[in-house]
Amino acid sequence: MAKKGLFVKAKELKTDVALVKNLELSIGKLVDDSWDEPMGPTPMPHISTLRDWDMKLLNKYKPFYMPDCDLCCLCTYGKCDLTAGKRGACGLNIADQSSRIVLIACSIGAATHTGHARHVVDHLIEEYGRNHSLNVGGLNVDVEAPVTRLVTGIKPETLGDLDEVLTYCETQVTHLLSAAHTGQEACNLDFESKALHAGRVDQVGMEVADLAQISVFDFPKADPEAPLIEMGLGTIDKAKPVICCIGHNVVPSVGIIDYMKANKLDSKLEVVGLCCTAIDNSRYFDRAKIVGPISWELRVIRSGLVDVLVLDEQCVRTDCSNEAERINAPVIAASEKNCIGYKNRTNDPVDEIVNDLVTRKVPGVLILDPEKVGEVAVRVAQKVAPMRKKMDVLPSVEEITKLAKTCRHCNLCQRSCPQDLNIPAAMTAAAEGNLKPLTELYEECIGCGRCEEACPVKLQIHSFILKAGQKFMLEETNFCRAGRGAVQDIEIRSAGGPIVLGEIPGILAAVGCANYPHGGKDVYDICREFAKRRFIVMTSGCSAMSAGSYRNEEGQTLYEEFPGSFEAGGVLNVGSCVSNPHIAGAAIKVANIFAKRNLRGNYEEIADYIHNRVGAVGLAWGAYSQKAASIASGFWSLGVPVLVGPHGSKYRRMLMGRSDKPENWEVYDARTGDVVNVGPAPEHLFQTVETPQEAMVSIAKLCIRPNDTWKGRSIKLSHYIDLHKRNYGRMPKDIHLFVRTMADVPTTMKDEIKDILDAKGWKETVIPDPTMLPRMIRKKKE
Amino acid sequence: MSMFEDIPVDVGVVYEGERIRKNNMQVELGGPKQPAKFELVRAKKMDEVEDGKVSVVGPDLKDLPEGGNVPFGIFIEVAGKDIEEDLEGVTERRIHEYLNYIEGIMHLNQRYDIWIRVSKKSFQKGLTSFVPIGKVLARLYKSELPFVEKIQITFVTDPAKVQEMYDDAIKVYDARDAKARGMKDDEVDTFYGCTLCQSFAPTHMCVITPQRYSNCGSISWFDGRASAQVDPKGPVFAIEKGEVLDKEKGEFSGINESIKQKTLGAVDKVWMYTGFGYPHTSCGCFEAMAFYIPEVEGYGIVDRGFKGVTVNGLPFSTLADSGAGGRQVDGFHGIAIEYMRSPKFLEADGGWDRVVWMPESVKERVKEFMPKEAIENVATENTAKTVDELKVFLKEKNHPVVQRWTEEAEEVTELEGEDVEGTAFPVSTATVATGGFKIIFKNAKIHAEKVIIKREKPKKR
Repeated sequence: MAKKGLFVKAKELKTDVALVKNLELSIGKLVDDSWDEPMGPTPMPHISTLRDWDMKLLNKYKPFYMPDCDLCCLCTYGKCDLTAGKRGACGLNIADQSSRIVLIACSIGAATHTGHARHVVDHLIEEYGRNHSLNVGGLNVDVEAPVTRLVTGIKPETLGDLDEVLTYCETQVTHLLSAAHTGQEACNLDFESKALHAGRVDQVGMEVADLAQISVFDFPKADPEAPLIEMGLGTIDKAKPVICCIGHNVVPSVGIIDYMKANKLDSKLEVVGLCCTAIDNSRYFDRAKIVGPISWELRVIRSGLVDVLVLDEQCVRTDCSNEAERINAPVIAASEKNCIGYKNRTNDPVDEIVNDLVTRKVPGVLILDPEKVGEVAVRVAQKVAPMRKKMDVLPSVEEITKLAKTCRHCNLCQRSCPQDLNIPAAMTAAAEGNLKPLTELYEECIGCGRCEEACPVKLQIHSFILKAGQKFMLEETNFCRAGRGAVQDIEIRSAGGPIVLGEIPGILAAVGCANYPHGGKDVYDICREFAKRRFIVMTSGCSAMSAGSYRNEEGQTLYEEFPGSFEAGGVLNVGSCVSNPHIAGAAIKVANIFAKRNLRGNYEEIADYIHNRVGAVGLAWGAYSQKAASIASGFWSLGVPVLVGPHGSKYRRMLMGRSDKPENWEVYDARTGDVVNVGPAPEHLFQTVETPQEAMVSIAKLCIRPNDTWKGRSIKLSHYIDLHKRNYGRMPKDIHLFVRTMADVPTTMKDEIKDILDAKGWKETVIPDPTMLPRMIRKKKE
Repeated sequence: MSMFEDIPVDVGVVYEGERIRKNNMQVELGGPKQPAKFELVRAKKMDEVEDGKVSVVGPDLKDLPEGGNVPFGIFIEVAGKDIEEDLEGVTERRIHEYLNYIEGIMHLNQRYDIWIRVSKKSFQKGLTSFVPIGKVLARLYKSELPFVEKIQITFVTDPAKVQEMYDDAIKVYDARDAKARGMKDDEVDTFYGCTLCQSFAPTHMCVITPQRYSNCGSISWFDGRASAQVDPKGPVFAIEKGEVLDKEKGEFSGINESIKQKTLGAVDKVWMYTGFGYPHTSCGCFEAMAFYIPEVEGYGIVDRGFKGVTVNGLPFSTLADSGAGGRQVDGFHGIAIEYMRSPKFLEADGGWDRVVWMPESVKERVKEFMPKEAIENVATENTAKTVDELKVFLKEKNHPVVQRWTEEAEEVTELEGEDVEGTAFPVSTATVATGGFKIIFKNAKIHAEKVIIKREKPKKR
């Protein structure tokens, strides 16, 4: 919407109406403000603009710190011991320090997505021009960029518009990071508020990246029937040369796929991927294959199936290059952010680079031109494939038995394992020729390789596990639905009735990394349970892969069993990490579509609406990156609760509500201005749980919102009670906190619950038009 | 103490979405393979019903062939001092909901179309008779619908008896439909209001009359009547019709008072049968939208399922956005498909004489209720893709709106200006006349830090 400046100089100009001499006309900025939605109060919020809103949330959900480390080692005053209430040399206490680390993590996450978006947008502007228009969903999407509209007040229409949005994000990230410098911010809540701001900026950065790539690369556009993509090591055609792309940025892969298509090689080679690059490749090219999530990186390389490894940015194991060398697979580093120490060959002739890689003169190269990456990767793969013969580095069964005998039983492997897997027992069995326990570890192992690093006799423990599980590994053939992008406005309208009438009890968004305690099975089980219960299940990134990695009794994956649309029982993969804003965007659009609330620069009002009305819950089951922290932060800031798995405590703090304090659960009834106690709904903003069973109970409960109609509430409570009874074997103890009138009580449990309510001294209350903002109290018109 | 401890399987809302596949089914009752099947609720006098009685005519569950398919009927008789025949249909619809609450029972469709499966698992758990199923139904009815004071239930599997009762049921359905469709707003004293949507659209309220369905298409006047009886303080409530202020447009004092109270004065007047002036407000989940096309002075209709652009170049999403959010916007009117089957459909604007365009699929759905000429006269995406094509089509058919073109030719231009205000229609701005003066700049430097281009809003008349 904004154009760069304009400068006109006319020495002499004569027309019928004007005579002009030495005119200089300069315009700093040309702003097309033809979007008639009025500007809200907080366009392009600065780091303190939304502080009041943040504090409302942070007082309702007070941070509960669980420091991973009691020291602060950030400056040269330190290390400072912050235990038992002590302050460090700069005056900081442990709460401040913990929240500061949260801010740093969220800022890194926001910077990463914004940087990613910047690379994509700049590249596409160079290729297609600033005026290339955006299109994310054709006719069925009116609100194309809900997050960007909401945060910045900009309605982006062209690639050039995204440039301006990113400039805003970049400024914010700089300020946010600077606030973490020694001697700034003296209150943990202010660090927390800034972490929430990092989440907002992060959502914008991600949205920009996905808008750009969906529009230009013609990814599925809000398509519920996006194609099913083959997934798993077993789907790779080993007879073909295999190019494997790892990371998050699709641009180099597009170079590869375009080169293949241009040279009619698209059926002659396999392009496979891990992590979000795999997801985005499959949005561009439906024959691209997804190997698996991040935790499969060592598996796929050691299995020897890869002929050329192309690495871009984010979540790429930094030892991928070493691992690739072990199987004689050339490596191409394709991102400025991940140069791997290789020589920059961007300006060298292709023939020369190909030759150097094929003859193994160099193990890898850095190429920063995506087109060149494409040509080099394809030509190298064609040449090395016949020579490599898919050499793997997995030991034979005999070797494993022999090597296992050298195990000293020091147990360091188990101690270093984040899953605490019983490797020593498996080793003992292997030494006796029984590989079964090792095979069982395959399903539980998250592929981090820490066991090997810990082993004093240098056993290749991870390779042993892979060999023992090789049969399963090579049989992995599943489906993941290609990332569909946004939710259509029409789908939201259609879901409106069922949400109001309780037929859709809530929305579960399974996002984030795949380092799960039991492979992806937990994520699959949770997603399936809620899809069967007619919730809407949304997935993205590695979680989207996990959700598709298992099959039901009839042999269907989740994406075959359930429809891909935004409806009761739908399972929607929105896409990669940068597609997450489509999930937040769906919630934002609810406010716009049903209540006709303006989005433009109107963050607080919309967040208040979502927090009090839209029963959505995020789930990040595995722990890993700083990006996961900033993504979660973007949801918290909108008042959407996020649940994390057993590793989640390492996020260092939770945002927990206190259901025992009734005063924390008061809202205004916008109709009357009365203060109404609505109970702990939602109870927490950020919570960690230990088991998938616990997660299911919490998810059902966290979908409860103050505005629920009695029908909606009774159905939400049925699910909460049912899951609680199934998993804990008894009625939940807090049920009385969620009943407002007897109509809220599930039909089939009336008698049972009536007894509980009587015992608790329950009193009927009203269902308000809930808001936390006094300014939203409506004035009665006479 | 649970309500269902004596039932061998679990009963709960969580089983509602349960699917029972062929391999897992003990027996199939009704369904596409059976020509005769039914479920029927009848209102009876108090002394005609033996409360709690469950009978089975024909073989019981345990005697039905495993994996088989049998004719089936459910006959429920209810009595109570507030029960009236009008509530039979609404009561009957609950069978679907309640049967699905039972673990291992899947119920699809309604009336003469029912299709039920019982799972092997639940059969093995002891669900071998219709009697406990009847008990569940009876208890749910009595706990959920206070007007049901006595209830007796008969399950029928005997083929001859099913056929006999099916024939009778069809007559009841037909009579009920005829009565419902023949029911007029003029003939009742009470309408119903629904504020369920206020949980998401705080300023919207639907007014439901015998001749105007709720916008979402899921609540009829009968549903409203039942809901309001069950929970008078709930989100569906009775509105006394009050004084008829404008019969043609459909203005009633009772509606005005109620909506003023429920929307805190945001809306204080509603005309039920028109898309102009004070139209019924539109929430967010209306099934279709009637949108005025000023160029031809008629309404287009578009439903949520229509994928393309409508005749004026805009898709449903854009048109819907122009009218949604509990507002009264001239010429953008959210409606239920069922409302199109009503004689009151946009009556004040000319009804079907004013409709010029609709998607083929919607036409198919409501054809039966359209006047013959309208079926011919209303264009679809197959006969007109643009407003120009539409004009040609309407002229060719001599559609009633064509008369207006000549009659009101003068007024048309003025109307356009008003109709497009605040809408998504392209707005033409007047060109500034030049000539008559000359601009001279010499050594001028003009610097603007920022130039903001705004869309000019058309002035109110």
